[in-house]
Amino acid sequence: MHPVIPYVLAALLFGIGGYGVLVRRNAVLLLMAVELMLNAVNLVLVTADATIVGLPHSGQVFALFVIVIAAAEIGVGLAIVLQLYRLRRTVATDSIDAGEGTVLPRAEPMPEPGSAQTGPDQVGAR
Amino acid sequence: MILAQTVAAAGPALDAAPALAAAGDVSVGEQVVFWILAPVALGGAIGMVAARNAVHSALFLVTTMFALAVFYVLQAGPFIGMVQIIVYTGAIMMLFLFVLMLVGREASDSLIETLRGQRMAAIGLGIGFALLVASALTRGLGAVSAQGLEEANRGGNVEGIAAVLFTRYIFAFEVTSALLITAAVGAMVLAHVERPKGMKVSQKERSRARFAEGSYPGMKAGPGVFATSDSVATPALLPDGGESDRSISRVVPARGLTSAEAAPKHTER
Amino acid sequence: MAAEVLARSLAEPAVLAADVKLPDIDYLAIAPMLVLFGAACVGVLAAAFVPQRLRYRVQVSLVIGALLVALGLIVTVARAGRAVATAGGAIAIDGPALFLQGSVAVLGVVAVLLIAERSLERGGAFVSRASLTPGSAADRDQAEQPGATEVYPLVSFALAGMMLFVSANDLLTLFVALEVFSLPLYLLCGLARRRRLLSQESAVKYFLLGAFSSAFFLYGVALLYGFAGATGLGALRKAVQAGDGNTTLLFLGLAMLAVGLLFKVAAVPFHVWTPDVYQGAPTPITALMAACTKVAAFGALLRVFTVAFPVGAVDWRPVLVAIAIATMLVGAVLAVTQTDIKRLLAYSSIANAGYVLTGVLALSAAGVAGSLFYLVAYGFVVLAAFGVVTLVRDADGEATHLSRWAGLGRRSPLVAGVFTFLMMAFAGIPLTSGFTSKFAVFSAALGSGQVTLVVVGVLSSAVLAFPYLRVVVLMYLSEPAEDTPTVSLPGTLTAAALAIGVLATALLGVAPAPVLDLAAKAVQFVS
Repeated sequence: MHPVIPYVLAALLFGIGGYGVLVRRNAVLLLMAVELMLNAVNLVLVTADATIVGLPHSGQVFALFVIVIAAAEIGVGLAIVLQLYRLRRTVATDSIDAGEGTVLPRAEPMPEPGSAQTGPDQVGAR
Repeated sequence: MILAQTVAAAGPALDAAPALAAAGDVSVGEQVVFWILAPVALGGAIGMVAARNAVHSALFLVTTMFALAVFYVLQAGPFIGMVQIIVYTGAIMMLFLFVLMLVGREASDSLIETLRGQRMAAIGLGIGFALLVASALTRGLGAVSAQGLEEANRGGNVEGIAAVLFTRYIFAFEVTSALLITAAVGAMVLAHVERPKGMKVSQKERSRARFAEGSYPGMKAGPGVFATSDSVATPALLPDGGESDRSISRVVPARGLTSAEAAPKHTER
Repeated sequence: MAAEVLARSLAEPAVLAADVKLPDIDYLAIAPMLVLFGAACVGVLAAAFVPQRLRYRVQVSLVIGALLVALGLIVTVARAGRAVATAGGAIAIDGPALFLQGSVAVLGVVAVLLIAERSLERGGAFVSRASLTPGSAADRDQAEQPGATEVYPLVSFALAGMMLFVSANDLLTLFVALEVFSLPLYLLCGLARRRRLLSQESAVKYFLLGAFSSAFFLYGVALLYGFAGATGLGALRKAVQAGDGNTTLLFLGLAMLAVGLLFKVAAVPFHVWTPDVYQGAPTPITALMAACTKVAAFGALLRVFTVAFPVGAVDWRPVLVAIAIATMLVGAVLAVTQTDIKRLLAYSSIANAGYVLTGVLALSAAGVAGSLFYLVAYGFVVLAAFGVVTLVRDADGEATHLSRWAGLGRRSPLVAGVFTFLMMAFAGIPLTSGFTSKFAVFSAALGSGQVTLVVVGVLSSAVLAFPYLRVVVLMYLSEPAEDTPTVSLPGTLTAAALAIGVLATALLGVAPAPVLDLAAKAVQFVS
């Protein structure tokens, strides 16, 4: 099989993953789009392994590393996202606004989980 | 369906891969599998970014991952193909599904744009990037050809990978453990609630409390026992004929029943 | 063709499954990293088994002890004059690597002093149990409890990862190191005691963008592997020199790799995460990121571009020059408009990334030496500056809004004086390290004919001086308002960190020669 086909397929997958990261607002789906990008990378690595003469299997070993590191990264990422969910009862990234004007006075009670949609920070931010 | 297709494709490919790679040129079977699975992989990716429902999105991604696993097997990487299926689709995607279920399956993506033109910009950036890179690669890679890994795979694919992993990449391999420890510690810091001493009640303490001075370890008499009525407001009679306060719910007096209501009714025989 | 194939396979000998032998590992050369990784693992165990009341002391002494031992080992290795590529060529311990590792260790000690401070606020800057929902009853109960001690092993892992990052001689090791130091930082960002929503949001933001950028980094690595057939930086250079590879793969791969690295150094247009993350993260962690992460990221950038791609410089230099110019200008201009001291320092760190990039783009020994010196000098200033930020507090924690700083000079002249000195160092006034370091990078860039970069650099420094001076003017010339925050008396640890930072800034400004010489001697990369 000509290696250009997997290379092109990987480029398309990577681009679609990038598109997913840019449009998704659900943090979990956004992370899945990143996974798609990593899968495209793995495809390139394994394909490159079959096209070169130098040190064989480096690409496959690299792909193995990518899989392991992706697992660790996703572990941390999902923990952080779940943390966000516990605060906000939502995983929509556009409710994240750590910009200016979001200074939360400490005396004011933070929103309890149930009423998180209209937390004081969001009111203050918009 | 996808699973069956994948397994069907992977079965013969596992045996055939070294031979195909050894031939160096394009074999018909490999070509056919590829042309079938490439659209599947691409369709899965598009489905993943387009699906409204989060779970559908995850399943589309699983489809793509299965298709890619078959590609790995085709390209003389049976081990990495299996790892892709076991670790990626088996562990990582299940973790995703687990979290999706935890945050609520209906947590699908809204299609309302909060930033004007964001979607168009994303299409421009993402798809434009894909097409740009793909066309550059198509033009640039004409001369590259598959060399085949039969030489490298002669001693076995797993042995070959191990030989590289435990020599050249040994330090990176060891350092990966730091990453996994970090992930475990991080998940624990963010999720684990350590109760201060004293808040956690052990079985021993429960038992002590139950038999402590002033508490009655036996069962309480139920309402209506030894009584002439089965109303919850009717107190049980003690063996000496007196009324047991403990047999009536504390709520009943608190609700403000009149003494006539709360009094034993003596209505039934 | 056959000869080239032979040459390449000689350069990267194929490993036969039959004779797998562990490569020679120079344990002394990698000992600093091993010590730190070991300390981190022990720290994890200590967090589990040491009784609550001893944990803090054990952890802090463990981290600082490990950093000092690592520093001693680095000096030993440097004294021995070793320059080796060890562990199968995956790690290069050479002049720049040792200099940068030493910088990470020294700046790391100062940052840990800030992180370990517990007298400014009861229990320190970190939340006790991050899993509790902010605002809940249990959360209010933990306001007085000591902060989580898992912070210290995480910091050790991050610092060890940074040390590996600056010495990685292999794209795979580089990637693993990138993740090793990034993951703890994502976590640490979300552990602030005050303003927890802001802190956790910054963690989410940093993580999502970091994962996105590391995907780009990986795609670049994969394409470069497809180009060269090897992941070693030396092998990459040989492949570029041979010129028989596929240039499409080379250029696409290099571009993607650069995106990943430029994200970590916070260069425009990959800087958008910086202000939010710097503002939301606990201030000591912000200091750690501003000082040590910058050192690590620029160390890797220097190594990758100097070792692997010196040949194609004609092609990639203009792009990076454009990025450096954009970084300096955007950082300086946006810093002017900031009203929050942490965001101001964040934009200033973006502009400073542009100045270091100027030194890198000189592509000469002087440029490398200038960049190394700049990174150390900037690290000390920024650590001390964030140290001062932790001191200015009111009932709600740190008072970071600039309007709250009005009239601070009259209430606490000493702290205001220290901050003024640091602002002068940022602005590059002579007799501070800011001047010496800017001079070093700009003169190196001039020496290589990068006049545009230097002109833009000087202009943006002038623009950037304005927000610094505005803070100074605000502190001295404004009337203190009714609610001007008090300046807490620094605890021993913060005082030590501030003293080290200020002394180093002054020393590097007045007598920079020893460190400059050290940097000038440490410019030789091996591969």
